Amino acid sequence: MSLLDKQTADTRDNGAADTTTTTTSKAVDEPQGVSQESTGITPEMVLGFTSITDSYLCTPEANTYGIDFTKFHIRDIDTGLTLFEIAKPPVLKSDADGEKGGERVAPQTADETKDSNAGRYVRYQFTPQFLKLKNVGATVEFMTGSKPIRRFRMIEKHYFKNQLLKTFDFEFGFCIPNSRNSCEHIYEFPELPAELAAEMIANPFETKSDSFYFVNDELVMHNKADYAYNGGLEQKE
Amino acid sequence: MGLLTILKKLKQKEKEMRILMLGLDNAGKTTIVKRLMGEPIDTISPTLGFNIKTMDHKGYKLNVWDVGGQKSLRTYWKNYFESTDGLIWVVDSADRRRLEDCKEEMHKLLQEERLEGATLLIFANKQDLPGAVTAEDIAQILDLESIKTHHWKIYKASAITAENLLEGINWIVEDISKRVFYND
Repeated sequence: MSLLDKQTADTRDNGAADTTTTTTSKAVDEPQGVSQESTGITPEMVLGFTSITDSYLCTPEANTYGIDFTKFHIRDIDTGLTLFEIAKPPVLKSDADGEKGGERVAPQTADETKDSNAGRYVRYQFTPQFLKLKNVGATVEFMTGSKPIRRFRMIEKHYFKNQLLKTFDFEFGFCIPNSRNSCEHIYEFPELPAELAAEMIANPFETKSDSFYFVNDELVMHNKADYAYNGGLEQKE
Repeated sequence: MGLLTILKKLKQKEKEMRILMLGLDNAGKTTIVKRLMGEPIDTISPTLGFNIKTMDHKGYKLNVWDVGGQKSLRTYWKNYFESTDGLIWVVDSADRRRLEDCKEEMHKLLQEERLEGATLLIFANKQDLPGAVTAEDIAQILDLESIKTHHWKIYKASAITAENLLEGINWIVEDISKRVFYND
């Protein structure tokens, strides 16, 4: 059935973890990066982080390009099933393209009280089966404002109990003004040692990620997420 | 049902390939990509930006950029030329009226310095439609024979039936790998 072959997603992702160590993560402890001009945070610093950051390294206002994430979607490549989807209802433009938006998976925002951060924090709840997936497609959709964007880059780091699991580093490059874009990364889900998987299931939301978005090497967005894999298990307690 | 199968683990250094998909609006670029990736193709709307897919294919990390083809977007195409290894030009074979337009836009691209050396794959798409112009005729209308600067090949194709999509991708990946990687 398959039109395209694939193989494991190791290489660069893990390589980043190996080559980068120590020190830079300390920068996180300091309450920096709140100025609106420049955060001083570089892609290199972020690649070197070895633990989740304590705080957001830029303010929501750092996003002067009007970048707006409108959808996150995760699917199982082998079955085609949607595993997770969260979409913002379309707010602007005509209703003509309105039908696309309303996929009504309620955002399970963990902390609704922190309004200013609500839009940049996502909580994912999966069943244990999720950790057994082989091939996963992760899609983000975003819109941009009226300014063209030259070099748009995402660096995403995943941790369990502050142990680095995976680093994604991808350059979207140029974004057309007022555009609607999507990007799907299809990759082989790393095979987790059974013990680690069990621990991740037993410790909901100890799996966390930081997503850093840069334009011309300047940090413009910082999103966080956490993950639980014990879905469907709670009732047993 | 996913259209992907597993290939053996790549042990060497990662080899990246960048493939740019262009063509007039409504040529079927996004539908082709979705079909290849095992996604539903029943609710596709005009691309008002880009759709990127990254995946591993035959030992390469394939980055496919499908950029919208509307006239207002074509002026931005140039921003995606850099380091392009392969260009997929998608043609709506049933849109006879715009084949001249299609030819013009394609030949413009072939003069671009930053696309020099890129392998060119042409999908004569929508062959499932009655009245579709044959790939042979499209080759003639687009004056493919005149192209001496790029490796090229045309496939009759259909995003709906998936005809030749895989064949085309395999050809372009192979041609790029011969050019780019075997020479190292």
